[in-house]
This record gives sequence, structure tokens and C-alpha cells, in this order.
Amino acid sequence: MSVSAESEFTRRAASARHQTLFQVGMTAPGALATLILVLFALGIVLFLSFRTNDGSLLGGGFSFANFAGALSDPLYATVILRSLAIAGLVTLATVVTAYPVAYYLAFHAGKHRGLLLFVVTLPFWTSYLLRVFAWKVVLAYNGVLNSALLTTGITSEPILAFLNTPAAVVVTLAHAYAAFAILPIYVALENVPRSLIEAAEDLGARPFSIFRRIILPISMPGVLGAALVVFVPTVGDYVTPALVGGPNSTMIGSMIQAQFGKANDWPFGAALSVIVMLVILGVVLGARVADKHFGSRT
Amino acid sequence: MLRQTTRSLVSGAIGLASLAITLAVPAAAADKLTYFTWSGYELPAFNKSFLAAHPDSVDISVFSDDDEAFTKVKAGFHPDLAHPCYDKIARWNKEGLLQPIDTKRIKNFDTIFPVFKDLPDIQAGDGKVWMVPWDWGNTSILYRSDLVKDPAPSWNLLWDKQYAGRIATIDAVHDTPVVAAIMAGVNPFDMSAADVDKVAAKLREQRPLLRAYTTDMTSVEQSLASGELVAAMTWNASATTLKKQGVKVEFMKPKEGMLTWACGFVMLKDAKNVDLAYDFINSRLEGDSGKELITQYGYGSASSAAFALVSKDELTRLQLPSDPNVVLKSTVFTGPMKQNDDLAKMFEKVKAGG
Repeated sequence: MSVSAESEFTRRAASARHQTLFQVGMTAPGALATLILVLFALGIVLFLSFRTNDGSLLGGGFSFANFAGALSDPLYATVILRSLAIAGLVTLATVVTAYPVAYYLAFHAGKHRGLLLFVVTLPFWTSYLLRVFAWKVVLAYNGVLNSALLTTGITSEPILAFLNTPAAVVVTLAHAYAAFAILPIYVALENVPRSLIEAAEDLGARPFSIFRRIILPISMPGVLGAALVVFVPTVGDYVTPALVGGPNSTMIGSMIQAQFGKANDWPFGAALSVIVMLVILGVVLGARVADKHFGSRT
Repeated sequence: MLRQTTRSLVSGAIGLASLAITLAVPAAAADKLTYFTWSGYELPAFNKSFLAAHPDSVDISVFSDDDEAFTKVKAGFHPDLAHPCYDKIARWNKEGLLQPIDTKRIKNFDTIFPVFKDLPDIQAGDGKVWMVPWDWGNTSILYRSDLVKDPAPSWNLLWDKQYAGRIATIDAVHDTPVVAAIMAGVNPFDMSAADVDKVAAKLREQRPLLRAYTTDMTSVEQSLASGELVAAMTWNASATTLKKQGVKVEFMKPKEGMLTWACGFVMLKDAKNVDLAYDFINSRLEGDSGKELITQYGYGSASSAAFALVSKDELTRLQLPSDPNVVLKSTVFTGPMKQNDDLAKMFEKVKAGG
């Protein structure tokens, strides 16, 4: 091996090492954040869920009592199912209403697209709480909706059933998460190759079959992504039910929050969190399998 | 090249670390008093002389329930002063969260009504106390006198099916479960497991009639004003507020007795600004401060000096006797609840429908 080849080799090795170091440096902040903020926190939750509550911060002694207690009491199953139902309805409402908006933005907005996107995201510049309270103003006993019904003579008495009901929780959450659904669907629709649509048109396909057989299947990953982004956080929401829901809209998030607050039983709260995480994981996996077998991409 | 990169990485890390330290230091060394209190108790009018002597030197966080406050403090939030109620003092103390307050440094300590000064759980011995009482008040039913015509004076109104869906109650262990215990005929402050079940049954009976369990008194007041609610469990302040607005409401005197509570200042064990804390307590115990509490909210001041500044007419209008002993003859004083945690867990389950 000549001298120059050897130095060329060491130079390359050094540059490769340099590159690895660069990559490590680039990924380190993200990896650290994931390790400390996500995995470590999850580890503590998991650890805590197997402890008994003796009033101390980390509990004392290992036990399965928290899980046994949570699984044997039908109340928790009821509340988890209620949360899944509410979150499911919210997801359905959000995705179904977001799709046409995203569709319009992607195909018909033309030069106003930037402005319209801005308008769509505008309400989300305000605080989440502010939006919840706005719905309180609309749905309240002497609120906008009841006043409108009274003045138009549709009802003679204000309707009590708007606020402090599960329906109020669904409406408020669906509105709160709308932008999170519109954006992923919009991106998916943006990426539908226009050439496919033109080809379908050339072959004489009607608009509906173009939508059904080209646009919807290609945009489906965006729809599923949107559904996931809306579903997962809403299952655990506890602020909205506390503000616009009544006693019949207690969700599992409220129960978990209560264990860490008033009820002062962190290990049990941790066990409930672990159960909910597993349930959500199950639902998400189930949805993926269902999409693979019965999805529209066939 | 390699060494250079390592060096720049290391120096970058040092830079980040020092940045983190400089960011953390001012927060830790702030010479502001931190005060953790019930929402609504943060008004500057309550500590005018403190603010005059130490402008801009109090940081306030609020809570809506002192059980929540307890878990927050236990989990590592360390204010200098907190404001729980008397029934929680033994619990905070057991957890080792408090330090005794020297009554010699509290100027107006002698003006505090003996009935509060002599409460057993606040005695720390040697002229020291665990809590300096500041306020007291009542919990009862606030009802719309035009929508509920001449109800029998009883807590039973909160169980009256006639008003299903138009009733709300307070989401706190020391209020709703205590009343449920009284209605179920058990001792609210010390109960057996069977008694807890009886209270649970009473609470389950009430749940379908309720519009909400809440500590958000502003919402309750608005709902009473609009007529969405016809009756709700509240504290004096809501009665005072709505009467000022001209809403036709009455604060009931149930035959089973209103609940009377007393709250005050506790100093946390690792309080950093002890001198400021004493100044703050002294400022709050001035007659003027207590007068604001009485006239703005209709709560009682723990200090007789405050009552001396309020006219008889005003007190009659506020349904507030100038001597708490008069009230306590006919009310149930909220003392420490031995089964607080069990009741809290049970209440959470009942609220969720269990």
C-alpha cells in the first residue's frame, strides 16, 4: 500500500468518525428529551402503579392491589368505555367536518389558500380555555342558542339540556381539535398526484368514482393520522368535562386527576393511567388492523 | 479535527449548563413572599399595609380546594405561606409540612376570638401556633326565593326531586360529604366503614338530581342568577355577591345546622422569607383588612378588631353576628375528619357514577 493511499484511508476514516460524531450530536438532544421527559416519566408511572399508597410520594411496598381494585370495580370499566365513546364521537365529528374543509383548501382554494389556512388556524391562537368558555356562552341556559330559540319562538322555555351534558363535551372537544384534523388531511390531499385524477377523467370516470377510488384511498393515511391525533388526547381530557359536562360526563381523565389531587392516592391514579394507556394502544392497533383488512385502499 | 469537535461539544454543553444555572438562580433567590391561597383571597385590599411597606413583593398562587393544595405542597411546591382550613391542619402537620408561628411576633394575636385561638389542632406549645386564624364563614344552601317558594329550612332541599337538574353542590370533601353524613345520621368527623357506606348511599341518592359538582363559585352564581339553578350549596360570599346584584336569593338556615369553617395562615417548614411572612400575617390581621373581608365577601374575620369597624346594620344585612360564638351555637363546626382520604376516594367514585 502506498503512503498516499494510506493517508487517504486515514483521512476517510477520520471524516467518517467525524460524521458519526455529528450525527450523535444532532440526535442527542432529541434522544435525551425522549429518555428523560417521556421514557423516564412513563417508567415512574409504571413503577408507581405497582406500589401501595402509604401517603408518601413514591408509595411503599410492591403490590398488584391497584390493578386488582381497578379491574374488579365495574365503575372504572364504565368510565373508560364512556371516555372511549365520547372520544370516538369527537373523532368522528372532527374528521367528518374537517375533510370537506381540507378538500376545499387542497383543490378549490386557488390563490386564497394561504389566507384560508391562516383563517382556519386563527381560533387556535387563543387559549384552549377561552374556547371552552366561548362554548359555555353559546350553550348556557341564558346563552346564545337558548336566546335564539326563544326569540324565534321555537321554544317557550330555555332548554336545560345543552350545557352540562355529554353532548356539550363532544361539541366543545370537536371544535377544540378541529385544526389538528384539518391540517393532516389537507397535507394528504395536497399530495394526491393530479395526473391520476386527470387520467381518471380521461378514462371517463365520474367525479364520485374519482373521489371514491383515487382521492379517498390516497388521503386515507392523513385521515387516520388526524383521527389518532384527535382521539388519543380527547380520551384523557379532564378540563372540558369539568367545565361544560355534568355528573354524567365524568371521563377517565377526571378520575385519574382526582387520584393525584383530592383523593391523594397516586399509586392508584398511576394504575388507572397504565390501564388507559393499554386500552388506547389496543384501540389504535385494532383500528390499524381494521384499516388493513377493510380499509378503502383496496 | 476530532478533538476540536469534542472540545466544541464540551464547551457547548458547559454553555448550556451555565445558561440553565443563570436561568434557575433568580427564581430560587427571589426575595418575594410566596403565598398559596383560596381563589378570591388574593385581593390587595386584604394586605394594604404590607404592599405599602414592600411594594411588589408577594407572589400568589391560588387553589380551589385545600385537599388539592395539600397534594401540591406534598409533591414539592414550597410556598412560604399557605391558607388551608382548620380541618386540614392536623393532616398537614402529620406530613411534617409546617413550622410553628411565634404568636409574640403577631401584633394583633390577642384580638383573635378565643374560640378560634384555642382550637386544639393549632396549638404548638410555648406560645406558638401552627395556624393563625384569619377568616371564618358558613356553608349553606343559597336558593332563589322567587323560584323555590318557602322551602322547609333543611338540607333536604338538595335532595328534593322536584328540583331535579336545577341543583348544584360543592365538590369538596369538607362540604358535600359532611352534609350527606349529617343527613344520613352519622358523625361526619369520625365514622366506621359502615358509616362511610351510609354516606355513599346518601350521596348516590343525590347525584341524579345534580346539575354539577363544582368549586367554581362564579359559574354557580351565574347559573343561580340566570335561573338555570334554583338552589346550590355555597359559601357566604356567593350570597353577598348575588344580593348585591339584586338577585332574589336567600341563604338558608337549615334546621340541621349550617357548616361553619375557619381558615388561616400556616408557615411552611422550609419557608425562605420568614420575616416577610410575619409582616404579611400582621398586615392581614389589621382591622381594616378584616373589614374588607366582611364587607366584600360577607365572611367573618377572626379578629374582633375588624368587627369593631363594621356597623351593626351592615352586619345584620350580611346575616353575620359580631361574635362567632353566636353562630357556633346553631351550626356544625368543620373540624378534622378522621377518614378524610377514605371519604375523598368514595366521593370521587360516587361522582363518577359508582
